[in-house]
Amino acid sequence: MSPSRVALALLVALLATLPFTATPYWLHVGIVVLINVAYTASVYAVLRMGYLSFGHAGYIALGAYATVVLTTKFGVSPWIGMLAGGALAALFGWLLGAVTLGLRGIYFSLAIFAFGEIVNAVFRAFDWFGGPAGLAGVPRPEFLGTKLESHASFYSLVLVIVGLSLLALYRLQHTHFGFTLLAFKTADTEKLAQSVGIDAARYKTACFTVSCFIAGLVGAVHAHYLNFVSPSIFTLFYSTDLVIFAMVGGIGNFWGPVLGAALLTALGEQLFSVGYWKSLVYASILMIVIIGLPGGLLDLPKTVRGWFARRPRTDAAS
Amino acid sequence: MSAPVLSLRGVSRRFGGLAAVSDVSFDVTEGELVGLVGPNGAGKSTLFNMIAGVFPPTAGTIALAGTDITGRPSHALARLGIARTFQLVTLFAEQSALDNVVQGLHRHGRPSWFGELLGLPGARATRRSMEDRARGVLDLLGLAAHAADRAMDLPLGTQKLLTVAVALATAPRLLLLDEPAAGLSHEESRRMMDLVSTTVRERCTIVLVEHNMRIVSRYCDRAVVLQSGRTIYDGDPAGLTADQRVVDAYLGVAEIQ
Repeated sequence: MSPSRVALALLVALLATLPFTATPYWLHVGIVVLINVAYTASVYAVLRMGYLSFGHAGYIALGAYATVVLTTKFGVSPWIGMLAGGALAALFGWLLGAVTLGLRGIYFSLAIFAFGEIVNAVFRAFDWFGGPAGLAGVPRPEFLGTKLESHASFYSLVLVIVGLSLLALYRLQHTHFGFTLLAFKTADTEKLAQSVGIDAARYKTACFTVSCFIAGLVGAVHAHYLNFVSPSIFTLFYSTDLVIFAMVGGIGNFWGPVLGAALLTALGEQLFSVGYWKSLVYASILMIVIIGLPGGLLDLPKTVRGWFARRPRTDAAS
Repeated sequence: MSAPVLSLRGVSRRFGGLAAVSDVSFDVTEGELVGLVGPNGAGKSTLFNMIAGVFPPTAGTIALAGTDITGRPSHALARLGIARTFQLVTLFAEQSALDNVVQGLHRHGRPSWFGELLGLPGARATRRSMEDRARGVLDLLGLAAHAADRAMDLPLGTQKLLTVAVALATAPRLLLLDEPAAGLSHEESRRMMDLVSTTVRERCTIVLVEHNMRIVSRYCDRAVVLQSGRTIYDGDPAGLTADQRVVDAYLGVAEIQ
């Protein structure tokens, strides 16, 4: 096994022992971290092929509201609710992806941003969805006759679902399918891809649909964790936070966004008691990273080595 | 006699009020190397883009080996056997030369998505055989030594050869080359055209857009000259400089030497 595989195995083992060792507070941090890691990885899946989504909170909200409505209003099992949440987000991802993925750059980002705002406005506007206050009383799922009420049990559920989601996204990117997706980074390379027979629209839509499915699925899990949903959770700011996580971690490979989301979410939880500090800290970190470390935290080792590397001597100014 | 590889009948394209290509008809037979010539703005690229399916003609029909392909999208045409290069070097810049060619092999079977997701051995074997095939294509164009280099790091001449390799990887019946020698040094240009007229043409029928009359008369079997969107000459490249209309079209253009 390669060192990185050993490290990954150790990390998974550590995460798996937390339900037996950690306090409820730290399990709560773990749950929030894992959820944000999955969201950010789903944003990265789309970003990797050249599309920056400023509207993923819309897909997360679709997943969350789907399961909340099904479980609280129709008495459907939370398990089915969560799958339905993923499916609904995937459906909208597919429909919207087919239309918007023909756009490039800022046009795509704005179209998806608009979609996120529409979703938010709809849930806010209709009393059936709970209006601005949202819907409460969302039940936790049951597993083998036990309701997952404790932090330890819910953490375990989140770990499994997020773990599988990350595995799916990772495999998606490290296969020939993921290799083909890299062909769409710019309008020019997309033309080249089409000229060798790649049906770009189909590939891009498929990738976007998978990304939205995972955002919706984890969004549904999120709603069951919080026991409620409200439109004020899944706002534009949530979408931009996910982009910040990805950029701070570094978008050079799969692990950058995972790292960024984990670190910033854990940090954000420590700043939770003073809400505005969170925005200030996130924004400041983003600014520092963008200016000083454009490759994100992934590039930190290389950059630090660069600082200590001897600079070539230059002659004194004449 | 079998149907020509490419057959254009009355092909026209208007952009608003501007007629970029008007009523162009010609055939290209199997194994031919045809040069499409004309001054800037003559409509060569527009015609190319229509044949490659970037946009449809506003009138007329295009047929590939007897099948009407008018208006089909470019990825579908690639599957039917039309490959192309672009006037500006277009490559998957951040990928290696080998990976660029592997992308070009797309239409010839690739690992199943499901098999790869599960890491099945069959999927891995398919990927490996794609890489072997890609190496073969690089070798044909003398690019084997650059297999691992990122496309963006290669010199222009090598990049242009790589664009031909990517197109050739699709195993086309018809290859459209958009100014393959433009921007190259004399040496590079010769190397490119020698390869095109030997190794590449043994494998497919070629239509190339070219500005430089000398290249067309030296390497092409036939020249089709466009001016203001119309065909003004179709025949032996040797007769180009003797044709008054062609000379007039090029009057004052340095390339006619």
